[in-house]
Amino acid sequence: MMRPIVRLSHLTCSLLAMVTLLAIAESVSAQALDISSGGQPTITGAVNGSVTGSASVLNDLIVTVNFGEVSPLNTNPIVKVVVPIALRSNQPYQVSVSVSGISNANGEGLQASDVGFGLQNLRLLGGAGQTCNQSTHLIRSPFNNDPAASATVGTNGRVAYPSSLANFSGSTIILSGPELSKNNSSKRQQSDGWIFDAILTITPQFFTAGTSSATLIFTIAPGPNVPC
Amino acid sequence: MPRKITNSLLLTIALALSAITCFGQSTTGTVSVSATVSKFVEINSGGAVTLTGNSGGGVTTDGVANSPLAVAINLGELGPGNTNNFVTAQVPLKLRSNAAYVLSMTATVTSSGTTANRIGAADVGFGLGTVSRTGAGVNTAGADTNATSGDPTLAANGSVNGTSGRYEFTAVRSNLSAFTSATTALSGPFIMNAVPRSNGNGLTVPAFFAIKPQFFENGTTTISVTFTVTAP
Repeated sequence: MMRPIVRLSHLTCSLLAMVTLLAIAESVSAQALDISSGGQPTITGAVNGSVTGSASVLNDLIVTVNFGEVSPLNTNPIVKVVVPIALRSNQPYQVSVSVSGISNANGEGLQASDVGFGLQNLRLLGGAGQTCNQSTHLIRSPFNNDPAASATVGTNGRVAYPSSLANFSGSTIILSGPELSKNNSSKRQQSDGWIFDAILTITPQFFTAGTSSATLIFTIAPGPNVPC
Repeated sequence: MPRKITNSLLLTIALALSAITCFGQSTTGTVSVSATVSKFVEINSGGAVTLTGNSGGGVTTDGVANSPLAVAINLGELGPGNTNNFVTAQVPLKLRSNAAYVLSMTATVTSSGTTANRIGAADVGFGLGTVSRTGAGVNTAGADTNATSGDPTLAANGSVNGTSGRYEFTAVRSNLSAFTSATTALSGPFIMNAVPRSNGNGLTVPAFFAIKPQFFENGTTTISVTFTVTAP
């Protein structure tokens, strides 16, 4: 009985071991932490603007926002983008955001503070989303707002938001809470977590002419150990 | 045979890994953002027209602050029957921009008369007055260049020609003959800081038009002036 096993090559044994380890690892890490698209992103009030992203909650979160023209040539009161983001976890979580790429030496140019950012509409993603009674999902201050609805004009005449891209310093936590999913699947499913809307806004103003860009990286990680 | 088994195992592993990758989860997502700001300039009315020294006539279509500039003025009698020194119309302009600007002007003067004594472009004094950059959201640090000589009725800007006896606006760009084609009247740096268009402030400047009542050939005269602001 021993001879056939002995004849197996070392390579074969190694590969079998790898498969076993992968299976174990997959089982352990199933549904641990996941962030994905939460649906089709939308844009309103834009002139020559667009937003692209997947409508499927099974796809990765990869969204490209072009606010378009934000000088006074755009006569709309505000350009608003809503990006639904889905979260899944079998443990307490936190979501952080880091922002890079937006800087303008000219104070009258588009600044990070001119891009409103807020979170709204935290909601279940289907029946397998976990509803916890002992802890709530917490949108961290100052991000719990719709910047399109809460923009104000400062004494200098410039539009300001309760929260904006200027509120990000390094990796900044925007949301945390208890576990998000009932099941323990290793695969994304249509209905096994929570969704929130990330809202970005720019009010067309007399900014200095030019182009601006920024990249927001959303990260989900183990969060404060709160009960479900 | 062992080689075949190994190959099969490798294929199985590859398929398994592919499956895991396809349904794999992610702890990060990316949102890329971009926006464009184009150069923007605009000219509007800075408010109501002021007409002085007129005999008859009046403001037919008045200016309304922050509305498109489209005023019509009847200067009234310009012959010796009008004993005032000058008939003057003061038209407030409002300019706004997010970039350096140039205000140019083109004027045409058409009279029904047929002789040299009819009213011509040189008989219509013109100048831009004091430039004002005030109010929240206005770039008050900007320095503007007025290419005209200001109020054409100022003594320094005109006088009676000692030979012909005709009153002449003699200073630089002090009458409409200097604007028969598009000519710069005012220029400067950006006017508005980063504020919304709903902000009603801006750069204001009065445009003066003046005619000295004289023994002009009788008839009617039409003066048409077009202001254009650009961001070169």
